[in-house]
Amino acid sequence: MTRRIFGVRTLGLLGLGLLLVGSYFGLFVAPAERYMGQVQRIMYVHVPCAWIAMVCYTAAFVFAVIGLWNGKPRWDARTTGAIEVGAVLNALLLVQGSIWARATWGVWWDWDVRLTTSLVMLLLFAGVLALRSFVDDSDRRATWTAVATIVAFVDVPLVYFCVRWWRSLHQTQSTPETVSPAMVLPLRLNAIAILLIAIWLIAQRAKLERERLRKEQVDEPARVTAGLEVTDA
Amino acid sequence: MPDGTIVGGWSYVIAAYAITAVGLAAYFWSLRRRLKQIHNED
Repeated sequence: MTRRIFGVRTLGLLGLGLLLVGSYFGLFVAPAERYMGQVQRIMYVHVPCAWIAMVCYTAAFVFAVIGLWNGKPRWDARTTGAIEVGAVLNALLLVQGSIWARATWGVWWDWDVRLTTSLVMLLLFAGVLALRSFVDDSDRRATWTAVATIVAFVDVPLVYFCVRWWRSLHQTQSTPETVSPAMVLPLRLNAIAILLIAIWLIAQRAKLERERLRKEQVDEPARVTAGLEVTDA
Repeated sequence: MPDGTIVGGWSYVIAAYAITAVGLAAYFWSLRRRLKQIHNED
């Protein structure tokens, strides 16, 4: 177990190092974009945060399905970890996007389809985390979390494809063929870096959830023995 | 320089990178604190 945690920590530290290198390339080596100038450098953190937030939510969806299938608590812990880390990255991408919008569109926010679906995505998954806090029974909590995660996940492909399906202020996805190689490098470095950091954080958050569950299971018999548990007559 | 080019803008870039760094660090420390707290309760 210690070795496994060490392995994940190594991934996280590697991710931090890569993020520093990628950000150096993004800030000081990549050329300024022709029209957006220096502001475009925000892309090197904004786009990786968006990609990895959606990867986290997709992982949460897969964990939720597996958890519903086999009922093992460790999948509930992993689902929670992936949702929480996804939500942190989701919040960061909204703030970064807002800063970018102010510099390029002249407004901090617009009810554009990409921005709105991204905000809805954050609210839906934050709602799943809030729902967990209302349920005391661990089995029921795991089931409700898994079902709510599957429902919330419906918004994730919508966020990705909305700029192709509907008219949007937000630009459509770029490809390496349409972007200068000097810009692709920091983008890829930071995407890998944030992915490694996310894996590290998800592992830590899942560990915390497993510890909480273990503590709940230890505390529960003690509460019943002490007569603190209220049951139906 | 073509028309419509954004001049300057470093302050926006610095703000975005700083918020990203602070956000990730704050979440990391909140996880550490919660893990320590649950271990201390044992």
